[in-house]
Amino acid sequence: MGLLEKISGVLADILDVEASDIEAETYLIRDLNVESIDMLEIAVSLNAAFNIKVSENDIFLRNLRPYLIEAEDKGQAQAPCLVEKFPFLTPDRVQEILADLDSGPVLKVKDLAGFVAYQTR
Amino acid sequence: MQLTFSGQRALILGGSCDLGICLAKEMIQEALYPILTFRFKAGRERIEKALEPFPGRWEAVRFDFADAVSLNLLFAHLREDLDFLVDLAQGDLEGLVASVEEDEFRPYFLQNISSRAEMLKRAARVFLGKRSGRLIFISSAAAERASAGQGFYAAAKLASEALYRSLGLELGGRGITTLTLRPGYIDAGRGRRYLQSREKEALGRVPIRRALTEKEVARSVVFFLSDTARGFNATQIVMDGGLTAGK
Repeated sequence: MGLLEKISGVLADILDVEASDIEAETYLIRDLNVESIDMLEIAVSLNAAFNIKVSENDIFLRNLRPYLIEAEDKGQAQAPCLVEKFPFLTPDRVQEILADLDSGPVLKVKDLAGFVAYQTR
Repeated sequence: MQLTFSGQRALILGGSCDLGICLAKEMIQEALYPILTFRFKAGRERIEKALEPFPGRWEAVRFDFADAVSLNLLFAHLREDLDFLVDLAQGDLEGLVASVEEDEFRPYFLQNISSRAEMLKRAARVFLGKRSGRLIFISSAAAERASAGQGFYAAAKLASEALYRSLGLELGGRGITTLTLRPGYIDAGRGRRYLQSREKEALGRVPIRRALTEKEVARSVVFFLSDTARGFNATQIVMDGGLTAGK
C-alpha cells in the first residue's frame, strides 16, 4: 500500500469519510472540516501506523502564519524561512502555499504525506 | 446490581497507599486487572505482601512524578494497553503560603501539576488509540475547603482537577471520560494519622460523625469505573459525609 493510500485510510477512519474521496490535493480544514481534536487523533494514529514521532505543530503547519510575520519583522524572505521551519515541504510546495494563503487554511493531505516521508526517510 | 466494565487493565497511580491496595483488591473481585505504581522498594513490598493471595491477577511497576525516566518506563511497560486509570498520586506540602520556601513549592508544583499533565497526555493518547478510557482523579474535600496550611496542597489538587475536567470535556466524544472524587476524612494512611491526633474535633464537624472507610471509598471508585457511571464526566463529586456542606 502506498504512503498516500495509507494516510487516506487513517483519515477516512477518523473522519468517517470514504478513503476514495481523499486525494493528495484535498484540504484538511477547508474540505474535510478537520478540527483540533481530529488533529490530535490523526497525530496519534500516524504515530502508531508509521512508528514516528509526530509533532502536531509541524505536521499541521500550526505556526505557519506567525513564522511569516516573524520573517517579515526581521526583513527576511518568506519562502526560505518556511523551508527552514518545515523541512518536509518542498520549495515548490512552499511557493504554492504562499500563493494560496488568502483563500484560507492551506494544509493539504500531501503535506501529511510529505511529513511522514521526511520522518521515515 | 451487576456492574459491567469496558475493559480490564486499570492503572492505579500511587498504588502502594492503603487506599490503593484496598482498591486493587476490590478490582480483583470484579475481575479487573490492577497495575499498581509505587515509588520506593518499601511500597513494592507492601503491595506484594497485601496482594500475595491473588497471584497473576495484578502487577506492580515503579513510577514517580519526580522522575521523568520513570514515566517513559511506565508507558513502555503498559505497551499501549490500558482501559482505566485511577490517580491517587499526590505529594504532601503543608505550610503557610507566606512561609513555605520557594525551593519547596516550585518542585512541588512541577511534580504534582506539570508532571501529572505529562502523564495525562501520554495516557490520553493510549486511550485515544482504543477510543475508550475512563479516568478517575482522587482529589480531596480540602481542595475547595482548605484549612490554613493546606494552600499548596489545595492549589495542586484544584489544578489537577482542572486538567482531568478538560480532558473529559475534550475527549468525551471519543469515549474517554473523567471524574474527580473528593473524599473527606478517610480512616487510612495520612487521614488516619491526622484523625489519631484530632479525632474528636475533626469528626465533630462531620454530619455522619465518622470517618470514611477505605473500603467504601474503594468500592465507590469501582462503581465510578463501571459502565453504569460513565455519564459522570468532566465533573467532581464530594464524598465527605457532609463535612463541606455546612459551616
